[in-house]
Amino acid sequence: MPTSLFDNRKSVIHRLNPVTKLVALLAIIVIVFAIPVWWVSAIVLVVVIVPAAVISGSGGRLLSLSLKILIPILLVLFIVQGLTFPGGETILWRWGVLKLTTEGLLFALGVGSRIIVLILASILLVLTTHPGQLMSALSEHGMSPKFAYIISSTLQLIPAFSDRANSILLAQQARGLSLKGSPFRRIKVMLPLLSPLVLGMFTDVEERSTAMEARAFGSPAKRTSLIPVPDTTLQRVLRWVFVALALGAIATPILMGIL
Amino acid sequence: MSSTAVPADSKKVRNRIFIALGTIIIIATYLYLVVGQPTDIAKSSFSQAGLIAIAGYVIGAILLAVGAIHRLPTATVAMVPVAIALNIVVGQLVSVIGIPVYLDSIGTILVSALAGPAAGVVTGILTNVIWGLTLSPIALPYAVVQVVIGVMAGYAARIGVFRLFYLAPIAGAITGLVCAIVSAPISAFVFGGATGGGTGAIVGAFQAMGQSLLGATTLQGLMSDPLDKAITFTIVVLILAALPSRFRNRFPFVREYHVFGRKNQALPTLPAPAQKTADAVAADVADATDKK
Amino acid sequence: MIKLSDVSYAYPDTDHYTLTNVDLDVPQGEVVGIVGASGAGKTTLAKIISGFIPHVDGGALSGRIEVDGINLPESTLAIAVSHVGLVIQSPFNQISGAKFTVREELAFGLENQGVEREEMATRVGEVAKLLGIETLLDRSPYALSGGQQQLVAIASMIIMRTPVLVMDEPTSQLDPGGTRMVFDVMSKLRDSGITLVVFEHKVELLREHASTVHVIADHQIVASGPARKVLSDPRLEKWAIGTTRYTRAAALAEEKSLLPKSTELPVSLEDSIDVFKGFKNLKKG
Repeated sequence: MPTSLFDNRKSVIHRLNPVTKLVALLAIIVIVFAIPVWWVSAIVLVVVIVPAAVISGSGGRLLSLSLKILIPILLVLFIVQGLTFPGGETILWRWGVLKLTTEGLLFALGVGSRIIVLILASILLVLTTHPGQLMSALSEHGMSPKFAYIISSTLQLIPAFSDRANSILLAQQARGLSLKGSPFRRIKVMLPLLSPLVLGMFTDVEERSTAMEARAFGSPAKRTSLIPVPDTTLQRVLRWVFVALALGAIATPILMGIL
Repeated sequence: MSSTAVPADSKKVRNRIFIALGTIIIIATYLYLVVGQPTDIAKSSFSQAGLIAIAGYVIGAILLAVGAIHRLPTATVAMVPVAIALNIVVGQLVSVIGIPVYLDSIGTILVSALAGPAAGVVTGILTNVIWGLTLSPIALPYAVVQVVIGVMAGYAARIGVFRLFYLAPIAGAITGLVCAIVSAPISAFVFGGATGGGTGAIVGAFQAMGQSLLGATTLQGLMSDPLDKAITFTIVVLILAALPSRFRNRFPFVREYHVFGRKNQALPTLPAPAQKTADAVAADVADATDKK
Repeated sequence: MIKLSDVSYAYPDTDHYTLTNVDLDVPQGEVVGIVGASGAGKTTLAKIISGFIPHVDGGALSGRIEVDGINLPESTLAIAVSHVGLVIQSPFNQISGAKFTVREELAFGLENQGVEREEMATRVGEVAKLLGIETLLDRSPYALSGGQQQLVAIASMIIMRTPVLVMDEPTSQLDPGGTRMVFDVMSKLRDSGITLVVFEHKVELLREHASTVHVIADHQIVASGPARKVLSDPRLEKWAIGTTRYTRAAALAEEKSLLPKSTELPVSLEDSIDVFKGFKNLKKG
């Protein structure tokens, strides 16, 4: 199981302050959900996400990762909503209770376009941002060090525990344990696999917290950081522009009375 | 398990405000989307329901997490990453094995039972944030569901559900019920009911039977969540029973609310202070061992 | 530097004392070894000296505990950790996890204390040089061997500049190579003036590195004295710690009158070379 999807490159996008990228991601999500028409998502995709992906050099990985997530969702979305959308009136084709409707397909198009933007933009952020840098940058902006600790620590624990889980699974299978049969039986088989893993993990916690407290974690002092996260005036301005764009997007449909 | 930093009163007030605001926003979001549901939501994608579902739930969840995290002592903070890793590793493992449940909140419920609802809320939200950052961004909008799990499991522990083995699945089923209700608007308005193959088919079936989109996702949730949470709570009770009691009793929450029942053990009186040299004591001990 | 008088302790919700009537006196700048079988109370004593008992574990603690002039039980954990550092058994559990490079891992404690950036960078450089881990600075703490991880853990405590450092079985989870690395670092620390308390059961290595040794058995300190004298005590077998083969060989030779009765028993190889030099002469004569 991967710790993080971070794709270590040196592009402009990679070098941006992580907070700038996070604000951009949030603004993009707000914009496509605030003006819920498919072509707004399409414009954001073509004008912002695709160029950013190309500049970053991580476009290939972005495509392969997001397609794996998107294809099943979009397929189900178009089939289910195309055929069974409750507000469907204009029937194109019908088979028993299933009616293919224009409204259903349009609904799927609207929802689908937003999901595409949501997933592509989030994965692009993760691909181009080192989690440690993201945490440092957010801490510099006032996030509690406890959040930074929990997120960074989990990211590094997952591969370690995943290895432990796999070795336990292998050991049990070597002892002739089979993972076939009814779901109930499989749950019964899972339990003895879980307990050594979980007990080991949780009894380690005592040592981990001792080691942290010995290093003044939770001290009331104002924290400092060894490595500064680069930031520029331009990026500071850009972040406010993103916020303004998002607010504008929320206001647009209300002002224009299209809702 | 005492925290070294005692937050100032002003911070305490601020954290309470965050928690109260977060709770209000989450409830208001749900009520707006369900009770005050504008008629056009069901009719087309052309509404801001998706934005309200995401924004309301995410902002509410973040406020709750920010308000709750300051209460956590270091020992609890150290446990949270382990619990999140457990959620994610087991969740992944289960999806590989192909059991029709999620089992992705074992860690959250364990933390709630040992360290209380605030710790459970932080564990839950960050589970979905991290899952979103590593394996699947779909998890992110659902962070609020984990808030429900953390809070309900924490209060279940307070009233003593984890003392009796057979109460846990009941508490789990009730938690699952609330989870299903809370998550339905996200499935409906953000994902159009299409979060996965199996669930999508069920949503489609309910819609074909005449349910609205929200009705269909709610019913779909009710089919899986209560069962999943009942099983998860049962697993947690088993794990808790297997943990050494010395470990469990390190947690002030466990001691304060007698999560695992009351226990009173008296210490024997202490031997009189030794007035001898270490070597003399050593000789005594050697003798005593010899007699054994 | 460390003074414990008549200290007894029981964990919460237990019906027995883990330590009873413990007295301990450690002068400044000394390297002290404490040996004991598993379950004898080593970790408990380590936690008492470093303030985690009673500030974290609670329980019933009595007696007087003074470290670096601070009355620990009446102080706070934050104050205690600024006077005493603690290195624990598992290198894996000591890595904060919050940092992605060794460099930042070393600075973690200083960041928490709010030390200025330039000062942190200087101290990271110094500590890395002292322990010889400069080449590891840009690697992930999780991509290191156990021995290297333990060196990083020790470095990340030394960087806090506490006058006392407690090590609780720092080599019990390491292979022989890693163990050697950690003990080599101990000899470097001995010259730096830090007061070092090492809980161990590797008798031979302690003989080489500690000046004074105390033995814990049956919840008490049962023997104290110069390392060679204490570590060659035949009662170590009874206390489930065990003596080295050199000690046993010399004791046997004594018994068979091959060595004079007054021989000071050896612990390490170096000791025994000395002792058996006499043995060789005896045989010839």
